[in-house]
Amino acid sequence: MKAIGIDVGGTFTDLIYVDRQTGAQGIHKVSTTPDDPSQGVIIGLTELMVQGAIAPSDIAQVFHGTTTATNAVLEARGARAGTITNEGFRDVLHIGRHQRPDHYSIMQEIPWQNRPLIKRRYRKTVPGRLVPPTGEELQPLDETAIRQAARELKADGVEAVAICFLFSYLNPVHENRAKAIVAAEMPDAFVTTSSDISPQFREFERFTTAALATFVGPKVGSYVKNLEAALADQKISGDLRIMASNGGVVTPRMVTLNPALTMMSGLAAGVLGGAWVGQRCGRDKVITFDIGGTSADIGIAIDGVCAETDARSTSIAGFPLLMPMLDIHTIGAGGGSIAYVDQGGAFKVGPQSAGADPGPAAYGRGGTKPTVTDANLVLGRLEPGDFLGGEMGLDLDAAQVVINDLAAELGMDPLEAAEGVLTILNANMANAIRSRTVQRGIDPRSFSLVAMGGAGPLQGAEVAAMLEVPEVIVPPHPGITSALGLLIAGLKYDVIHTQFQVSTSADLALFNSEFAEMEAKLTARLAEDGLHADDVRFERAGDLRYLGQGYELRVPFDLGEVTEIALEEVWQRFHDSHAAEYGHAFKDSTIEVVNLRMTAVGASPDLDLPVPDGGKTLDMAHVRTRQAVFRVDGTLQSFETQVYRRDLLPLGMPVLGPAILLQKDSTTVVPPKATATPHETGSVIISLETKS
Amino acid sequence: MSRIDPVTGAVIQGALESIALEMGHKLMRMSYSSIIRESEDFGAALTDATGLQMCECRMSTPLQSGPIPGYIRNVLKVLAERDDPVRPGDVIMHNDPYGGASHGPDVAFCVPVFQGETLIGWSATTAHHLDIGALSPGSCGIVDAVDTYAEGLQFKAIKVFDQGERNEAVWHILRANIRATDLVVGDMEAQIEAGRIGAARLFELVDRYGLDSTMAAFHDLMDYSERLMRDAIRALPDGEYAASTMLDGYLDDPNPARRELPLVVTLKVEGDDLTVDLTGTAAQVPDRPINMPLVGTVDCSIWLTIRSILLDTVTYGAIPQNSGLTRPIKIEAPKGTLVNPIFPAPVIARFCPGNQLADTVMKAFAQIVPGQVSAGIGNLRVVALSGLRDGDHWVHMEIMEGSYGGRKGLDGMDAVDTLYANTRNNPIEDIESHIPIRVDRYELRENAMAAGQWRGGIGAIREFTFLDEAGFSLEGEGHAFKPWGFDGGADGYEAELTLVHTDGTTTNLPSKVPYFKVKAGEKLVSVGPSGGGYGDPLLRPAEAVADDIADGLLSEETSKVIFE
Repeated sequence: MKAIGIDVGGTFTDLIYVDRQTGAQGIHKVSTTPDDPSQGVIIGLTELMVQGAIAPSDIAQVFHGTTTATNAVLEARGARAGTITNEGFRDVLHIGRHQRPDHYSIMQEIPWQNRPLIKRRYRKTVPGRLVPPTGEELQPLDETAIRQAARELKADGVEAVAICFLFSYLNPVHENRAKAIVAAEMPDAFVTTSSDISPQFREFERFTTAALATFVGPKVGSYVKNLEAALADQKISGDLRIMASNGGVVTPRMVTLNPALTMMSGLAAGVLGGAWVGQRCGRDKVITFDIGGTSADIGIAIDGVCAETDARSTSIAGFPLLMPMLDIHTIGAGGGSIAYVDQGGAFKVGPQSAGADPGPAAYGRGGTKPTVTDANLVLGRLEPGDFLGGEMGLDLDAAQVVINDLAAELGMDPLEAAEGVLTILNANMANAIRSRTVQRGIDPRSFSLVAMGGAGPLQGAEVAAMLEVPEVIVPPHPGITSALGLLIAGLKYDVIHTQFQVSTSADLALFNSEFAEMEAKLTARLAEDGLHADDVRFERAGDLRYLGQGYELRVPFDLGEVTEIALEEVWQRFHDSHAAEYGHAFKDSTIEVVNLRMTAVGASPDLDLPVPDGGKTLDMAHVRTRQAVFRVDGTLQSFETQVYRRDLLPLGMPVLGPAILLQKDSTTVVPPKATATPHETGSVIISLETKS
Repeated sequence: MSRIDPVTGAVIQGALESIALEMGHKLMRMSYSSIIRESEDFGAALTDATGLQMCECRMSTPLQSGPIPGYIRNVLKVLAERDDPVRPGDVIMHNDPYGGASHGPDVAFCVPVFQGETLIGWSATTAHHLDIGALSPGSCGIVDAVDTYAEGLQFKAIKVFDQGERNEAVWHILRANIRATDLVVGDMEAQIEAGRIGAARLFELVDRYGLDSTMAAFHDLMDYSERLMRDAIRALPDGEYAASTMLDGYLDDPNPARRELPLVVTLKVEGDDLTVDLTGTAAQVPDRPINMPLVGTVDCSIWLTIRSILLDTVTYGAIPQNSGLTRPIKIEAPKGTLVNPIFPAPVIARFCPGNQLADTVMKAFAQIVPGQVSAGIGNLRVVALSGLRDGDHWVHMEIMEGSYGGRKGLDGMDAVDTLYANTRNNPIEDIESHIPIRVDRYELRENAMAAGQWRGGIGAIREFTFLDEAGFSLEGEGHAFKPWGFDGGADGYEAELTLVHTDGTTTNLPSKVPYFKVKAGEKLVSVGPSGGGYGDPLLRPAEAVADDIADGLLSEETSKVIFE
């Protein structure tokens, strides 16, 4: 039984297959086809099947990470979308929270005003109003007005409609009725409601999330359809599963109904892959650290699980997104990040990137700006003739020229400037990791850093040293960790109910009936998708805050009957979590429950990759000795540095730094005083000298 | 000349910004009242031992972080006068509007940072509190306060923690004198915790890099910000540039000295120095609180506006906000005027006058750098709503947005906070879930956009129905004077406020309304101002006009009047 993971990125589509019985595996990489990414997927898949001699009928599962929704939003290329909302509230999507994105700017643009997802002309209003606290009807829905609005939208060529009413998270009856009417009037359109997409309070954020889903709905729908058809053409009848932002997979049908689920899916798979690599090495607490050309993505995973971010922290292209999403922090720092001296004379690195084209000066494609890659090359940490398995040469002279220019501008020695580029980049990354660890009461010194992506293993050891993280794990194939993550993603379906309750007068019966209703809802949804409740486990949680606060923290609820004792436990967890997150708990304050959540989680598929043989002796792996520059005890020094082929390193035999390990998809730097040991699972573990 | 190598400098700068961000993040998430957690009307910053600002939280509102250096300097001054040294473990509360505070409701909690026995810096947060024990509920719309004593409690460098010991007497006084006590005291405790986190982080930073390196990096950082500002000023032609606008003041007041008050700004550019001379501005109103503290309001209003114009984030990226940025700018404000009042002239309602001053500064700059300004902005208004529920007060503040004027190449921003303010509104679903108010409308005005090659931003209409008897008060500006059009663009539209009584009759309200009772079923209709137009309307592309018509923002009849 074979499973295939396919991760579509901006430049490359990565593929990986494993045979879950024999452990056989293969990886492959093809260029992404931006116009219709399903073409690249099929090209890669066909080639991978030839390469691994896989028969279509052997493929039981295809796991897929897609950026179709993400790109439609980032490139502002989506559907002609419309909305129907309450009379008096036509401009909720336009006014937003009446805040400007930048404090200190006259000439700024506002995403929802300058690039509206739904233009005002397609925002229709109708009478009908629900009110809190229960969502009771204050004014009935005007069905004639709905029908009229749908006809106008249809006449204007609108392809997708979001139904967005105030307080629909308390009672979806008006939205559901309106949806039925619109769907009947516009049978070819994508129609959804804000309570279907994300039934949580705060109207601008909820309506915007529904608008995002609507904006990408037709595109995602046709992508999924094309892909299913193409797989059928290839006679692949295995299950197609698509990665969602919450770190689980869902069926193509779910994605078609709620395309906003996939808005951040690529990042989620990377964290899963990193966490899995760590667990294989016996490490249960890892920081996943994925550096590509332009950005670094940081996740925290404990026991293989990455926490979800809170509902108010996610956005895409400046638009708020109320979707369950793994807590992944992205900063603009990568191998292509440009180093420069700004107008005020300060030394900066990123967030601008040279990208892949022209790329760093060292790529020899006309890049004229010094980048992180150029700095690494000048310092001798990259091999000019052995980059990406020798597929690409690096131009040392070109890199030296741009670094020299930078150094002259700064009045520094060129090597000091090159090392400065890395130090500033690494410090930016370390600050980002601190914001996710130290600032939340998590001590990074008890974690391992999993260095992934093309550039992660280059910077990982020095970033870890800044944080006093004791070791760095470099996965067997750092460049395809996202595709790997797809293979171990289990099903994950969420349901959420906004339910205000306070700790001083909690209604136990209401908790129990809500959870029962949510479980029934999930079971029904699974059944509609051809899945069985037996294949999943349920998890419960609540979003809680002190009464009066505006931000919630996620706290688990135990399964089974909610009793007073169980609630006491929940309140205690909230106090603890508040203290960890903010450094303080208000133990005497009343606690308010805002949302109840229930998640159906499928078991993660077992994955047992073959254990590599490794080489016999260090000598056999040795490629050459070169000079590389590192800062040790405050001074910059040139060291004789051994260069090895990573795949030939003997398992378990320590390699003393400074050393450079070469492989096709990345280069690993082992600084002086650090030791790299190839682990039996194929990862390399770098132990750092840390303050004790 | 740099004091430290550029790499270490960049690393320490990144660490400082990350500390300020953490403070603000935690304060916002821990706090209880919507004015802090939703409107983001708070500040967080680190200073050196003398009160020079090192960094501020970029999430906080400019008018809150900006004054922090002034708070610290005055705390130091007051304690020195009392011969009461700052000691480790102290937490000091301060809100004196004649001593650095922006106005009384913006209470700072200042945590000193020590290395051994040496004071090395301060971690401070400010936040706008819902109530500060003034004559009527809420901390805005106190437009009838006759002096600073009527504005609420005044704290002059009060140690709420003294060497780690909680000063219980102070907390008892606070609890006994402030309405909505639990929320306000909860917010204050959140401020203290956020301040302590910042202090611990600053200590760790100094511990890691050493005091000398940290301070060297900070002084380099100030020089850096100063250099950017000086470069920008040097690029302006030397000369004097004057502008004036008008404040509503008290439009229904029989005393003419309380209404229609001029603000006058003269920019004097000389090399890389800039003097902002406010001579010509109206005399202070001795017994009404629209006077603006020079330190904390007037200075911040001027600095923030200049920075937004000359060092716009779109062009310059995020420049560190620190005391270096303000060194090239000198402010001259004659004593006894609205912009430099004499104690105890009241100041609590200085928010909207201060923003009008910012607009006046921009109007003067429009003559020098027309491509970097907007036409006149629509100013803001703040309402306080309050009532009693089961014997306890509920208090809610809502900032009514304004809008920007048109800009070269861009239409004005619609329905946003303007210039020195940048708060957030409260979700309708939050308001209705927590207080007896129904929101009936929140949309853009139609047929009220200032014509121009780039049209002015459009104001918002909001309607609130009171479901219960409640108290209401208002402080605002922009009911009497239209936002200025620029370079041939039309003037904008004034704001309006109407109370609709249960029998359907209406009362038009001026822009300042002291506390009064409204009945259940009465309705407030607020029409926000539309900013001025920029450039000749006849140069506006036909497609842009067609878009505005298709979007229902402009009627065809109106467009014919303007464009034909």
